[in-house]
Amino acid sequence: MTLALGARRGAPATTRGQRALAVAIGLFLFAFLVLPTATVVFVAFTEKGTGQFTLVNFVDFFRTDLFVRSFWNSVYVSVMSVVWASALALPLAILTTRFAFRGAVLIQTLGFVPLVMPPFVGAVAMQLLFGRNGSVNLLLDDAFGFKIPFMEGLNGVIFVQSLHYFPFILVNLSASLRNIDRAMEEAAQNLGSSGFRLIRRIVVPLAMPGFVAGASLVFVKVFDDLATPLLLNVKEMLAPQAYLRVSSIGIADPMGYVISVVLIVVSVAAMWISALALKDRDYATVQRGGGGLARRSLTGWESALGYAVVIGILLLVLSPHIALFLLSIATIWSFSPLPDAYTLAHYNRVFAESSLYIKNTLVYASIAGLIDVVIGTAIAYLVLRTKLVGRQWLDWAAMAALAVPGVVLGIGYLRTFYGISLPDGTPLAALWITIVLALAIRRLPYALRACTAALQQISIALEEAAENLGATKARTVRRVVVPLMTGGLLAGFVTSFSTAAVELSATLMLVQSNSDAPLAYGLYVFMQSSNGRGPGAALGIIAVLLVTVCTLVSHWIVERRHEGAGNR
Amino acid sequence: MTGERSRPPAVAVEIRGVNLSYGITRVLKDVHLDIRPGELFAFLGPSGCGKTTLLRLIAGFNVADSGEVLIDGRDIASLPPWKRDVGMVFQSYALWPHLTVRRNVAFGLEERRLPRAEIDRRVAAALDLVGLGHLAERRPSQLSGGQQQRVAVARTIAIEPKVLLLDEPLSNLDAKMRADVRRELRELQQRLGITSIFVTHDQEEANTISDRIAVINDGSVQQVGTPMELYQRPANLFVAGFLGTANIIDGRIVGSSPDRAFEIAPGIRLPIPAEAEAPPGAKLVFRPQAARIGAARPGQSSLPGTVLDREFLGPTVRYGVRVGDARLAVDVPFHAGEPLAEIGAETTVGLSPGTALWLTD
Amino acid sequence: MIKIFAAALALSLAISSVATAQTGKVTVVTSFAKDVTDPFKKAFEKAYPGATLEVQNRNTNAAVKFIEETKANNQIDLMWASAPDAFEVLKGKSLLQKYQPKAVGIPDKVGSYPINDPGGTYLGFAASGYGIMWNDRYMKANKIPEPAEWQDLAKAVYFDHVAIASPARSGTTHLTVETILQGEGWEKGWRTIKELAGNFRQITDRSFDVPEQVNSGQVGIGIVIDFFAFSAKASGFPVKFAYPSVTTVVPANIGIVANAPNKAGAEAFVEFLLSPVGQEVLLDPGIRRLPINPAVYAKAPADYPNPFKDPRFQKMITFSAETSESRTAVVDTLFDQLISFQLAALKDVTKTLHEVDAALAKKDNAQARTLAKEARDLVAAMPLTAQQASSKEITGAFTGAKEKGARQAELEQQWAAFAKERYTQAKTKASDALKLAR
Repeated sequence: MTLALGARRGAPATTRGQRALAVAIGLFLFAFLVLPTATVVFVAFTEKGTGQFTLVNFVDFFRTDLFVRSFWNSVYVSVMSVVWASALALPLAILTTRFAFRGAVLIQTLGFVPLVMPPFVGAVAMQLLFGRNGSVNLLLDDAFGFKIPFMEGLNGVIFVQSLHYFPFILVNLSASLRNIDRAMEEAAQNLGSSGFRLIRRIVVPLAMPGFVAGASLVFVKVFDDLATPLLLNVKEMLAPQAYLRVSSIGIADPMGYVISVVLIVVSVAAMWISALALKDRDYATVQRGGGGLARRSLTGWESALGYAVVIGILLLVLSPHIALFLLSIATIWSFSPLPDAYTLAHYNRVFAESSLYIKNTLVYASIAGLIDVVIGTAIAYLVLRTKLVGRQWLDWAAMAALAVPGVVLGIGYLRTFYGISLPDGTPLAALWITIVLALAIRRLPYALRACTAALQQISIALEEAAENLGATKARTVRRVVVPLMTGGLLAGFVTSFSTAAVELSATLMLVQSNSDAPLAYGLYVFMQSSNGRGPGAALGIIAVLLVTVCTLVSHWIVERRHEGAGNR
Repeated sequence: MTGERSRPPAVAVEIRGVNLSYGITRVLKDVHLDIRPGELFAFLGPSGCGKTTLLRLIAGFNVADSGEVLIDGRDIASLPPWKRDVGMVFQSYALWPHLTVRRNVAFGLEERRLPRAEIDRRVAAALDLVGLGHLAERRPSQLSGGQQQRVAVARTIAIEPKVLLLDEPLSNLDAKMRADVRRELRELQQRLGITSIFVTHDQEEANTISDRIAVINDGSVQQVGTPMELYQRPANLFVAGFLGTANIIDGRIVGSSPDRAFEIAPGIRLPIPAEAEAPPGAKLVFRPQAARIGAARPGQSSLPGTVLDREFLGPTVRYGVRVGDARLAVDVPFHAGEPLAEIGAETTVGLSPGTALWLTD
Repeated sequence: MIKIFAAALALSLAISSVATAQTGKVTVVTSFAKDVTDPFKKAFEKAYPGATLEVQNRNTNAAVKFIEETKANNQIDLMWASAPDAFEVLKGKSLLQKYQPKAVGIPDKVGSYPINDPGGTYLGFAASGYGIMWNDRYMKANKIPEPAEWQDLAKAVYFDHVAIASPARSGTTHLTVETILQGEGWEKGWRTIKELAGNFRQITDRSFDVPEQVNSGQVGIGIVIDFFAFSAKASGFPVKFAYPSVTTVVPANIGIVANAPNKAGAEAFVEFLLSPVGQEVLLDPGIRRLPINPAVYAKAPADYPNPFKDPRFQKMITFSAETSESRTAVVDTLFDQLISFQLAALKDVTKTLHEVDAALAKKDNAQARTLAKEARDLVAAMPLTAQQASSKEITGAFTGAKEKGARQAELEQQWAAFAKERYTQAKTKASDALKLAR
């Protein structure tokens, strides 16, 4: 007790516990992110032949037209994806949080599902729907004699990425909107503001922490994503360039790693800029520990319009999943708007062969999600509520995980942990917990952004009140901060959990035995042959359903809590 | 707002038979109120009585199940909050953290699409009025509580609303500031001549600045009147007890008019004047300063009792006296040198029946 | 009858005695699909009671990286995949173990490609032919004739309808490219490849994406390994497949990983693969690869291609594995820099040239003909010769050679700039030719 007091008096800004926490998280990030990544990307800084330190590879990067062009293409696609993703997310977020809208929970859940796009099969489903000879274009061609190049070139990438990643904005923005004190909105109405002007001038600016959290995630994720450009056969972007090089057989080319370093730097820079945008602004709008926006009822035609908008957006963003479902019950689907015939055989095959994958996925993704929320909350707290030197670096380091290609992380894990043997001789990297750690690291950024936004909106006065009443910092966090953050924490968990459930690249590298394999591995195995397409789609649908159910339950909990606290 | 500009004449607010329920809880029960033009009117009551709900109903944030609200004779029930021209100052002030003080105050004017020059002029005038012209470029989080409150007021009066609503305007301020701010508020209201309604649970606040008060309890208006009327002629036990200190004594009415009396305890009776209303089951109500300690003066009745305690309040001394089973508070003017009644001493309490009231719930 | 019975008994005894000696878990890392590995697993575990085959599915590249990264504490017995270049990499890093198989009846070559690694570190167990696969519905809807030969795919009618996997990422495509280069010579070979590439719709990053795109009907024609087409057809997709009159043969291989934890088990599986029983598994409709034991074809269905008899497989030129090996990375990088990353420009020129040809067919114009030829020459031009491609100065940039030299990024930039400039010039000439021809 005296010790604790002494520490407080000696260093008023930080406590021992906080410093210990910071060190622990720093070590965790170092061991499971920085070190494994460094063991792989250090090649980028070495001179060919001599192995000495050099920056010449980076000079090469900027001298190569292809890379410079790829860089700007990536920037353009990322920015435009943020714009379009916002356009999709904003109406859904506002309609479901601001109005008494029947089915708000369902809409929020469905709006989240696009994030859960199983690898491989998702791509096939997209092509079957929007591809050059996909259903939409075949029908258009038939009826009007023209086609729309949805999935071609950079605009195609923007199209697919906006649909895929807009939930990041939806989830974070909704959490922010729920946290706005209703008096903020009422004051504006009282002064004569309403409708779109009210949303534009008050609601949206106040929801900035959530929006920025979501938008920065979309930007970085699109910037670092390689699956979609490769699916659309767009190679002149940075992430695909890195991937193509890192995963080419037998080429000892440092450029793949140079690009990885560039990706990491840009991602961290984007996060830094987004943090700057919110700096010096007080967004603590939860002053009385609850409240939230008043939900206005809609009149008949308003409600009809609202549903039209919502259903339109949902149909668009869920169309890949609809196609995926059709694929999972299709016998043959080739060059036709709809499958030739339908069958349930694929599901039978999946249940017979793959239930183990499903169980593993649930276990891995939930543990990874929990780790993410715990670490995310801790980092957010250290960054926003303490004056520890270098605390911001924890945030940036964790966010850099977004930019580390899964392949690089996978190789790094093998390199770092395979040499460490357990007493019985099996390597540490062969244990399934390694997969969980890799998943947790890969998805930590999602949870971290959600936790940060949630904490940003809690007035520090609420914590001071608890401390004033004799609670220690640690107990304040547990008893006051965490309960108030529940919405944001759940948003973070759900995002981490559901995207971890369909993560592929790192897991493919780390899976050591079939009995430890997650669902994404099962998908990969199916999608290696023509007759695995249907079962692959079925497994994909099962993954989507699993995630949807988990999301629905979490939303339901948040809504119930919100309604309990919000009525007066 | 400034002297040379003429303001539109102040308007009346009428509330007619308003009912409102949340689920099965009846929050407002058949509320009728007439608030006169230019009046500073208070809704006074304990927390949870429905006074804030009523205020929000006028602002348009709550919708009544039945009844109507008239402003300047017009029913505004169908108008959304943003078309009511009713300015509200929120208890939490609800200043937008993303806007500077100037932009906060300008907000309502911008919503009214006024010309830029007009907006600038009126923002400056409103800020000057509350004495915050020099802090226009700050953000709300950089202001003290009192300053925030003034910004909230400036923001509201800048739109020159027909009616000004204030929700617990002083509750977030410290005690010392409250007296200053409430005087400022009163002055401001007088200067603008705007019909104003404010919600408070503090009777002193209500008494000191309002023209008239509606005492509200459990969703119903108990009584409406000037502070003095309410104090002198409370309509029921709730009002009597809520405003100032009152002795409320159980007992029973014996005899019949004109020889009725109120029996506090066996043998201890107070005659009830013929003109006094004393409905069955009523209780005896009188203010501590209406009674005295010692022998009864002419016209007073004597009630025998024992001194339980005494408190020195400065100008007066308050005795607690047990009469029968009841405990009476009696205020006696303090004159230096005069002997005080001792605790435990037998004494009598003198009380004029004419200053007493017999009230029911 | 009794003799046969006795022989069978003896054989089964022999097998079971081997099996008891080699029970345990055999771990294999493979790029083959479940449909391929499952029948083998079943047959192997049946033939060797007590043995289990643990299959780790990874794409070829991940498999190579995995073995490389985990060599200090190796848990893998076997590497099992198509692409010989992956085995070459492993061999180069001494991650494979030599093994002399005991199986008999297997020739040295299939087509003209040697079945086993001359160094004996990895062994072929099956072969596959390269060919052309197309989606019937797509062809009918777009009124495209069925192609028969590689050269057909360079025709105007196939413009924007063809897909291929990138040779840098598909070992089998790489072999095809190398076969063309060796067969036609460096300059002429690249000219052929670029003429084909001018019609490409897509250059995919995974081998399997090509059949998948054709199955879906997103692309009409794919250059694929035969078994992709066979299994797609078997699954009911409206696709067809043809071997051109000159086809390339690619083997599928298996190799024992150095320091295999269960070396005896690994050898048992290799022997099983090469035994008649194992070879027959290849005939399974879901697998459909070509056995390397000619005797097994006796049990194959009538229309089953037999590379040991089919003249199309015999026509293939002599293939020099050494030449191929010496310039693998150079060829792949050239393909990427001149074709994959410049596909839009290349297609643009090709499209105009197709239009010129069409116009010239109606009304000849000598000047336009000359311009078109110049444009074609510009497209075909190569930044380096065959000798340079195999030279130490160039290959050193790709192999992480110890000596200092040109860096890969520098070369890539030079080659890309070279191609870009010529494609631009070619486009100008082709456009001029088109104006004249019309």
